[in-house]
Amino acid sequence: MSAVEQGALHAAAPAARPKTARRVPLVARALETLLVICLFLFMLGPLIWLAVRAFAAVWFFPRMLPNSWSLEWWRTVFDSPQFMHSVRLSFEFAPTVTIISAAICIPAAYAFSRYRFPGRRTLLISLFATNAFPKFGLYVSMAGFFYSLNLMGKFLGVVIVQLIGTIVFMTWIPTAAFSAVPRSLEDAARDVGAGPLRVFFRVTFPLAAPGILVAIILSFLAAFDEAQGTFLVGVPNYITMPTQMYTLVIDYPQQVAAVFSILLAIPSVVLMGFARKHVMGGRLAEGFQIR
Amino acid sequence: MVLPPVGVVAAFIGFPVVAAIAYTLGKTGGPNSMVASLAQHQHVAKHGVTLAAYREMLGDHQVLGDLWATVWVTVVAVLIVLAMSWTIALYLRLRGGKIAALLSGLSVVPLFIPVVIASYALVTFYSVDGFVRTVAYNLGYHSFPTVGYTLTAVVIGEVWVNVPFGVLMLSSGLNGVPDSLIEASRDAGASLSRTVRSVLFPLNVIPTVIVATFTAIYVLGSFTVPYLVGPSAPNLLGVSMSNYFSSFNQPQQSEVLAVIVFVLAAGIGAVYVWANVRASRRAGQVA
Amino acid sequence: MKAHLWALGAAALIAVCAAGAAAGSTAREGKAAAHASKTVTINVYVSGDVNVEDLYTKSLIPGFEKSHPGDKVKLIFSEHGVNDTTTLDRIGAAVKARKWPGIDLVDGGLANTLAIDGLATPMTTAKIPNLAKVQPSLLTPVKGAALPYRGSSVVLAYDSTKVANPPKTLDALIQWIKSNPGKFTYNSPNTGGSGQSFVETVLAKYVSAKDQTAMVNGYVPNLESDWTQGFNLLKSLNSDIYQGVYPNGNQAVLDLLANGQIEMAPVWSDQSLTALEQKQLPSTIHLEQISNPSFTGGGAYVAVPKTAKNKTVVYAFENYMLQPAVQAVVVNAMSGYPAIAIKYLNKSVQSKFSSVSPNTLRPVYSTKMLTDMNAEWQKDVP
Repeated sequence: MSAVEQGALHAAAPAARPKTARRVPLVARALETLLVICLFLFMLGPLIWLAVRAFAAVWFFPRMLPNSWSLEWWRTVFDSPQFMHSVRLSFEFAPTVTIISAAICIPAAYAFSRYRFPGRRTLLISLFATNAFPKFGLYVSMAGFFYSLNLMGKFLGVVIVQLIGTIVFMTWIPTAAFSAVPRSLEDAARDVGAGPLRVFFRVTFPLAAPGILVAIILSFLAAFDEAQGTFLVGVPNYITMPTQMYTLVIDYPQQVAAVFSILLAIPSVVLMGFARKHVMGGRLAEGFQIR
Repeated sequence: MVLPPVGVVAAFIGFPVVAAIAYTLGKTGGPNSMVASLAQHQHVAKHGVTLAAYREMLGDHQVLGDLWATVWVTVVAVLIVLAMSWTIALYLRLRGGKIAALLSGLSVVPLFIPVVIASYALVTFYSVDGFVRTVAYNLGYHSFPTVGYTLTAVVIGEVWVNVPFGVLMLSSGLNGVPDSLIEASRDAGASLSRTVRSVLFPLNVIPTVIVATFTAIYVLGSFTVPYLVGPSAPNLLGVSMSNYFSSFNQPQQSEVLAVIVFVLAAGIGAVYVWANVRASRRAGQVA
Repeated sequence: MKAHLWALGAAALIAVCAAGAAAGSTAREGKAAAHASKTVTINVYVSGDVNVEDLYTKSLIPGFEKSHPGDKVKLIFSEHGVNDTTTLDRIGAAVKARKWPGIDLVDGGLANTLAIDGLATPMTTAKIPNLAKVQPSLLTPVKGAALPYRGSSVVLAYDSTKVANPPKTLDALIQWIKSNPGKFTYNSPNTGGSGQSFVETVLAKYVSAKDQTAMVNGYVPNLESDWTQGFNLLKSLNSDIYQGVYPNGNQAVLDLLANGQIEMAPVWSDQSLTALEQKQLPSTIHLEQISNPSFTGGGAYVAVPKTAKNKTVVYAFENYMLQPAVQAVVVNAMSGYPAIAIKYLNKSVQSKFSSVSPNTLRPVYSTKMLTDMNAEWQKDVP
């Protein structure tokens, strides 16, 4: 982007929205409403349909609502200690993995952003490329490798398996976030006498924070959803939620999957409310460009 | 400072990748000896390497059918994701207001739903007794086609899962276009579509390429959506890979499929890198 | 500035969770070591459907822990087949490296594989006295390296309100399917045993008795050309299958029966009897066995990986499973067949099995033949 565009970028605060004073014709209005309804049906319809089933005892086609209602399946889910235990485990692993990922990747991201060393772009691309190999094909060799390192069945082993999936997010996005911080600001701070650590924590990091937050959230979700690798390494003590979910969805009647989907929607909605402001309209696009 | 993440990836992904590729070429020693002792129908290299496993898979009509299905599902899904993401992102950028905020919230929902639950919800929605057919039945269409367990359902599922990323990326890119440019274009008399075509789109080629490549790579290797939502045949390569590995006890053939997916994904990744470098070069950022 | 605060807040929250997790895990791992002298815990990996899981959690494990204070059993349950190969790789790698695989006892299809591939400990009466009560024919398919603890067979389930005269032979069944399109289905053989049995039964019709025995007892890939006729027949049934789609897994087929979407299907006897008892299947669904050939049946096995820990406790558990009183529980809780000879059970239980017992059921192919059959089916049929 040229200097002019850079300047314009900083001038246009993301919060400002175009406020057109033009009259919106009726046709456009109708089309908009249709768009919203269609999107609502497409995105939320399946989830709501499934959620209704969580309360259904009997439901035959072609009724729009169940023939009879019941809370029995909720009891089934809550009575099963291993379901709730696995959910708790997932919430233990994902944050740990995210923190470790941040700890090792953010300094690397800073280096990628600030120092132009030879092989820089190759390394960035190779981090991306290794993720493209289907993980399924790796589990076989991984088992042997992990055994020799005595990581099987250990907390650290599962952490490493989930960590691998987060590295791309945690290096690429913060690299771009750091790159977007103007050096002039850092230089100005240094001129006034601030030491390098001070400059980082008071100038660079706050400006890069939204991008880093996005990286953290995407990494968290990636670690949270990781199923097969976790099972490979985590048995016997660490069975997380995604693996349990395969069992649920395939081995139990539909109502159980419905109950679980509602249960999982709650933290999801919380996480979404937390993140939406910074994820939408943020700096995400820049995160994936190779400069 | 760069060493830790690179080291982790090299050790825990790089090494197994190399071992896996060696296995497909017939090397059954060393790290591959465990799986080789249990596998059936292997092609072992007597000296050097052998391409027999590749010849077997690429000559199998079912595998080719799966490959073709994977490719066209990927292409269609990418096109639909782009169309939907652009529509929503443009609406967000140009219209603003509460409806836009609602749309953006709706389109991001799938990101936070675990993909197993999402696939299950989708298949019950479009199945024989799902919402779509129930509504159609109550409106009088007694034999509305069932979309569940077809490749169409797989496309719908993949689109559902990938739209959030597309919307996020494109709205972020569109946000980077200053209001002044859009206003200037309108003041010069350009219609809305002209503005989009000549101003917004050219400035957002890179985010579009990003969305296309990431979606393509995701769909190529995806397993859960086609497994729960797709037909018995043809399968997408992710499902075939799992079948060969777990159900047919032919891990070598499974790894061959993995390599094929990797090559396709790497090809798409190469397009992405080339587009990026070209753009950076144009902007004068790269020597 | 606000973003800065949010980022720090998120980081702090995550830090707290992680610290708690790390502390919890080290405590857990430490506690296990500390308790090593007092309680012994064995890990059992079970792969199957929910009725097997219930058998363990509701009957076997509580009963064992009560009669053996100080011994605990931890259950790791996995949906039928999904994690089997991963677990198999894990056990294989562990045995090779002479390390503990994290699993002391395996229940499910992969127990057979472990036994045949030499990764499991051979079963002897010295280790498990009750082994003497088991019918010897059940030990042959696994070369004596796995223990059968129950039996089951696949039967034909049908909706009695819609089907007045259920077919009694395989030919009649095929005829019925063709004259009633869209009313029958079976799960793909690699996702569940009931569908797998149906496929095997159709194939077996066209295989000579000699070749059939060879396929049951070993791995003879060169005889697979005998299957062509059977596969052609299965392929011709594609258009008559409900929705033209083969469901994933045994439970999915039961769901279709329960919802009235199909009228007939092959099902596991124990799974469907339990479902009928728990009212998950309407009582209008009846079960029966066909003939010429009949569906397959046989033992369900458990195996002990060679590098398992606490083997004395594991053998005690296996011995427990074969006690007549516990076998009666298996029969009642799971509606399964006992693995020990009928004469050891008390009279009321014996009466249930006057005509059928595990060793009169038609045995299924050896594990490797089955995986080849799965692969061929996927290639030739859908």
